[in-house]
Amino acid sequence: MENKIKFTAFDEGLVIKISGELDSMKTMTYRDKIHREMIKLGPRMLLFDFKDLQFIDSSGIGLILGRFNEIDKIGGVVGITGLNDYSRKIFQITGILQIIEEYQSTAQFKKKARINL
Amino acid sequence: MINKMELKFSASLSNEVLARQAVIAFISPLDPSLEQIGEIKTIIAEGVSNAIIHGYELDASKDVFLKAIIDGEDLELTITDYGKGIENLEEARKPHYTTRPDLERAGMGLTIMETLSDSFAIKTLPGMGCKLVIKKKITHESVAYGTVSR
Ligand SMILES: Nc1ncnc2c1ncn2[C@@H]1O[C@H](COP(=O)(O)OP(=O)(O)O)[C@@H](O)[C@H]1O
Ligand SMILES: [Mg+2]
Repeated sequence: MENKIKFTAFDEGLVIKISGELDSMKTMTYRDKIHREMIKLGPRMLLFDFKDLQFIDSSGIGLILGRFNEIDKIGGVVGITGLNDYSRKIFQITGILQIIEEYQSTAQFKKKARINL
Repeated sequence: MINKMELKFSASLSNEVLARQAVIAFISPLDPSLEQIGEIKTIIAEGVSNAIIHGYELDASKDVFLKAIIDGEDLELTITDYGKGIENLEEARKPHYTTRPDLERAGMGLTIMETLSDSFAIKTLPGMGCKLVIKKKITHESVAYGTVSR
């Protein structure tokens, strides 16, 4: 599978879909891309879609936590969706699911995130 | 039967994918599950990126060493760097501890490796380097995810 990042904006929100492998190298380039997109759109709701994620390590966790801190500062909401057994295990080890909520789908996030704003 | 491989590569993060793919190709005769492949890739990524980022501070003129041994269903991985080593290992092993918050490191690498492996040992000396020995069984019976066993 191809490694890629895709952005889809909605209202005040942004869906970031990361596919393939998210390693230390990719984390660095994606961080810049996400940064630019967030400057441009100023989202208050951020959803990471990992449906097609095949590999992640702690550098990817750092990337998510970094964006969580930014959005949290402005009183926004961050969510995660599309975890498989493998990625959920990595997320559970790092305790990230205790601070970032998992959603069943993008649609569910759009509905619920607004209430949590 | 015992099967072995060894890899030596420059301490550049662009080589992390080589390390991951080489080991996955090497263990493919054991027919690992997708979850096991993911976990082994993550273990290697954590060990190799630590060697490159912390051990060698991204000096690509240095070398990282990776060894894999398969003995039946047992996989043993050894990741070695001759970089700066770990000053306080007890501190370093704590979740969320990192000496590079500037790089947005999560400080979870050692914790992840330890959790995903069956046995995990670190040998390090300040100024001398760091050697990780990781053991993991590649079994089909361990239905860790409730998947159908083969
Ligand atoms: N190979 C290594 N050489 C030197 N220091 C290391 C090495 N591996 C880990 N460390 C030290 O241990 C700390 C924790 O490592 P880790 O849990 O992987 O977190 P992170 O890589 O996010 O900092 C690092 O910040 C670093 O100080
Ligand atoms: Mg690390």
